[in-house]
Amino acid sequence: MVPYIQAKNLNLTFRPKNRDPVTALLGLDLEASQGEFLSLVGPSGCGKSTFLNVLLGLLKPDSGDIRLNGNRITGPGQERAMVFQEFGLLPWRTVQANVELGLELKGVAAATRRQRSAELITLVGLNGFEQHYPHELSGGMKQRVGLARALATDPDVLLMDEPFAALDAQTRDLMQMELLQIWDRAKKTVLFVTHSIEEAAYLSDRVVIMTARPARTKSTIKINLPRPRDYEMRLSAEFNDIKARIWETLKEELMTRSAGDGS
Amino acid sequence: MGAKRIYQEYQRPILGLVSVAGLFLAWELVLTYLVPLNPFFFTKPSLIATAFQEQVLGGRLWHDLIISSRAFLWGFSCAIAVGIPVGVLMGWRRRAEYTLDPFLTALYASPLVALAPLIIVVFGVGLLAKSVLVFLLAVFPFIFNAFAGVRSTDRLLINVVKSFGGKEKDLYFKVILPSTLPYIVAGTRIAIGRGLVGIIVGEFVAASEGIGFAISRFGDTYQLPEMFAAIFFLMITAIVLTEGMRKLEAALAPWRVGQEAR
Ligand SMILES: Nc1ncnc2c1ncn2[C@@H]1O[C@H](COP(=O)(O)OP(=O)(O)O)[C@@H](O)[C@H]1O
Ligand SMILES: [Mg+2]
Repeated sequence: MVPYIQAKNLNLTFRPKNRDPVTALLGLDLEASQGEFLSLVGPSGCGKSTFLNVLLGLLKPDSGDIRLNGNRITGPGQERAMVFQEFGLLPWRTVQANVELGLELKGVAAATRRQRSAELITLVGLNGFEQHYPHELSGGMKQRVGLARALATDPDVLLMDEPFAALDAQTRDLMQMELLQIWDRAKKTVLFVTHSIEEAAYLSDRVVIMTARPARTKSTIKINLPRPRDYEMRLSAEFNDIKARIWETLKEELMTRSAGDGS
Repeated sequence: MGAKRIYQEYQRPILGLVSVAGLFLAWELVLTYLVPLNPFFFTKPSLIATAFQEQVLGGRLWHDLIISSRAFLWGFSCAIAVGIPVGVLMGWRRRAEYTLDPFLTALYASPLVALAPLIIVVFGVGLLAKSVLVFLLAVFPFIFNAFAGVRSTDRLLINVVKSFGGKEKDLYFKVILPSTLPYIVAGTRIAIGRGLVGIIVGEFVAASEGIGFAISRFGDTYQLPEMFAAIFFLMITAIVLTEGMRKLEAALAPWRVGQEAR
């Protein structure tokens, strides 16, 4: 059977003008099955965002093959949506209009859009901020708008680039729970980039640990904790064991990085 | 205590008003009590006020105003219609930028009013020549600001719209234009000032009517209060137009309120 998402031997080098080329992906292989929750962890600057952008269809790899459901990815598509690391909210749009962006581009009628955006704004806890502009929001609130916008079009594949990094601890816990519920209910495939080992272990079916730049998959750890997962699980010995295993592998890469060019 | 609160609240307009009123008062007093006024060489605010009343409010200058406004509006509208698309195109398409850039840089850097006599030779005395002059002076701020606006458009936002299925048209209307709009409005403020210069210079060089012509005629005939009345009227027009643009900017771009310093 072909994997739902399959990246084979992806290579991508950025060639900025007047600067040295940067190889972000070097022979990256990755597979995910439908409905899977997959986390990616790795040193910062290793190429995680680059990989998500390739999967989203915004960046073309120099070589290699990336497929969704057997079809080669050549550009963006309605079945994929991204929660961007730098939010990417349109500053001239209110919260509501930002959440509706994808629906609008899809040609959804205004009344339906309104209803859908209202649901999602409630879901991410931004009631009362519908008519606010992004510059009036905190980082955490912007991140939640980005999440609502990605969920609005109901994509099959959700690409999340450090989506909870700007949230305070409580909101983060809350959003993690919400995300697990949405994922469970709507049977989405999630690719989740995070810096937090705890978060990766808590949410995922598998955690992929990436090497320092250029990114390859170093190893994959399967998380065999039962679902639905609850908060108490994080206190168990088993959970801590998993965290320790991820940390062991990741540590070597973090060392490489600090010994390397330090970017 | 009430007065103090009001003062703190409105410190800016109050101090501004006081300084302007003080200047006029000093001007009036010096020429009334200290220095005998020679009306051929100078004038004072009370006389200007009377002339303003007569010429501007009373309607004697209306004909000239209409003549000048017509040329201004024609030239300015063409500057908008040409400047914005050219600027946007140059910002979005590198080849257009490289092709047009040398001309624009040269023309923008040179004092175009020097071309006024030539333009009048080519286009004759009247509406057309003046409109051309206004156009030439006003078009550059539109081009450069639209260009700068497009260039400063955040790549991430372009990518976001693409990722949700946006086409080229969506990129223009949902990202590039909104992000460029504040730049264009700022360009409009500069263009207004330059356009007014165009009108006046055009009418100085050769004209038989218009507000610039009126100013030079009043000067030639030593009607100094009338001349100042016309000049002040021009100043007020410029202020109203540029301040109007500021208000328009706030209305058109509410997301920038509180972000941008004055
Ligand atoms: N558009 C770009 N141009 C040049 N270099 C880039 C670009 N995008 C990313 N890079 C470089 O590629 C490397 C990987 O970046 P990224 O994928 O963002 O890393 P991260 O794993 O932190 O998300 C970094 O060294 C970054 O500087
Ligand atoms: Mg990143």
